[in-house]
Amino acid sequence: MRSLWRLAVTEMKLFVREPMVLTFVFAFPVLTVLILGGVFDEDDPNFEGALPSDFYVAAYIGVVIAAIGLVMLPVHLASYRERGVLRRFEVSRYPRWALPAAWILVAMVIAAVAVAVLLVAGHLVYGLPEPDDLLGVAVGTLLGTFAFVSIGIALGMAMPSARSAQGLGMLLFFPFFLLGGAGPPPDAMGDPMSSIANVIPLTHVVRSIQEPWLDLGTPSGHLAVLVGLALLATAGWVALSARTAD
Amino acid sequence: MTTVIEVHGLMKRYGPHLAVDDVGFAVTEGEIFGILGVNGAGKTTTVECLQGLRKPDSGHMRVLGLDPRTARSRLRALVGSQLQSSALPDRLRVDEAVLLFGDGDRRSADRLLETWNLAGLRRSSFASLSGGQRQRLFIALALLNGPQVVFFDELTQGLDPLARREVWGAIRDVRDCGTTVVLVTHFMDEAEVLCDRVAVMRGGRVVDDGTPAELIERHARSTTVTFTRPASLDPAALAGLPGVDRVEPDGECIRVTGSNQLVAPVCAAALGDDHLGPPDLRVHHPELEDALIALISDTGADPRSEAADRTLEGVS
Repeated sequence: MRSLWRLAVTEMKLFVREPMVLTFVFAFPVLTVLILGGVFDEDDPNFEGALPSDFYVAAYIGVVIAAIGLVMLPVHLASYRERGVLRRFEVSRYPRWALPAAWILVAMVIAAVAVAVLLVAGHLVYGLPEPDDLLGVAVGTLLGTFAFVSIGIALGMAMPSARSAQGLGMLLFFPFFLLGGAGPPPDAMGDPMSSIANVIPLTHVVRSIQEPWLDLGTPSGHLAVLVGLALLATAGWVALSARTAD
Repeated sequence: MTTVIEVHGLMKRYGPHLAVDDVGFAVTEGEIFGILGVNGAGKTTTVECLQGLRKPDSGHMRVLGLDPRTARSRLRALVGSQLQSSALPDRLRVDEAVLLFGDGDRRSADRLLETWNLAGLRRSSFASLSGGQRQRLFIALALLNGPQVVFFDELTQGLDPLARREVWGAIRDVRDCGTTVVLVTHFMDEAEVLCDRVAVMRGGRVVDDGTPAELIERHARSTTVTFTRPASLDPAALAGLPGVDRVEPDGECIRVTGSNQLVAPVCAAALGDDHLGPPDLRVHHPELEDALIALISDTGADPRSEAADRTLEGVS
């Protein structure tokens, strides 16, 4: 158990030493939410009655989660595969499941810290409202994080190199970011974009957090999608990790 | 002597390519056992099967009495490994690597770093280490937790001559501490310098095994003496000397080939009237490299693998 703890702590240090992680997971969401939260008038009708800054701070929790799942994890894991770090672990005393378990744990902790940083910054600049349903927000955040962490591990195991993982990660991250609720408000989107937004996984994360927080509805449909995504991605990475043992 | 590794009839196929074909050998406790061959001979696949990293198609394997296919995790605690193409994360520091893969005891980690001359690099990241330093770290990691058997795969590839010698000394120290070493290499000088016994692989098969001296005796018996012909010497007279098989002119020089017995009589005959002898006289004794080149290029030695090669060519 102590050696697993050591593995998790070491992996944590390695993630945090990566400048790309610091940029995308910690700096980018804070910077953009502070800009976007101040762009719209307070009585802009496109935010379902909520204040634009409240709407965006809730949505940007989703951006932190997407950065972890689409950028941080895939690049880290793919570079482990590419460079033979995974092989080094295979001849160590750690069981096969130890490294993925450490990634899940570490990614959840990093998500918690990055979300806390985001909330503090949002609160200091705009002031944040009490969540209407705190438990609902927590469930949405946790489930969304777990789904995207699983997607990140699956992507990292599928990609042959760190560069290809970074390319695919960016290709997914920016459309998810722009259409998933962190870009223009959904009510301001035309029909075609709005229907694309509805199938983007990040939209379900953002709605699962926004709806209970700002009393915009009951997100049970979105939560169900997240459970499905988490199961699918977990099955995917388990299958991909078994593939190496021929 | 106890046998620590026992393999026979090992087969591994990748698609149409037979990478390991009926391989068998035994490794005794406390020796440095070399597996030699050119790239693609099946060396790495063989040791990866022995370490439980690959599943062979068939064959019998025992490492310390355990089957690597079924007792992988039990073997992990008894076997140390340095793999051919593995690395550590760039930003991992040397002391963190030793703590991560060891038992976590800081004092034993420190001792290991001292032993492998890595103590001064404790805070250095893996990315900043030189090739020789990285290999020293990999050896140190392979020896963490006191393994009974260690596998080293192409340990000195990419190292400069000085660093190679340093690593060779380190491997001897490992053996002298009682650990059995399996060394995979395509460097013949490395095998000659380090190995107590060697198995030579070609086209997925073991073509011969034995001590370096035995392999030299079996496959590279000829000693060569070359020198500029003194005016007084009649080359025809050399052919009748004991041990001489062939006398060939080579420009101004003469090359005499035969068994080791020829050296003294040929040198005596080469002495001119001044009793100084030709200044460029060279004696070349057979080395493991000669034996291996003979073994690896000897097309007649193994008809079965020749047939396999032809089949492969037909497929591709």
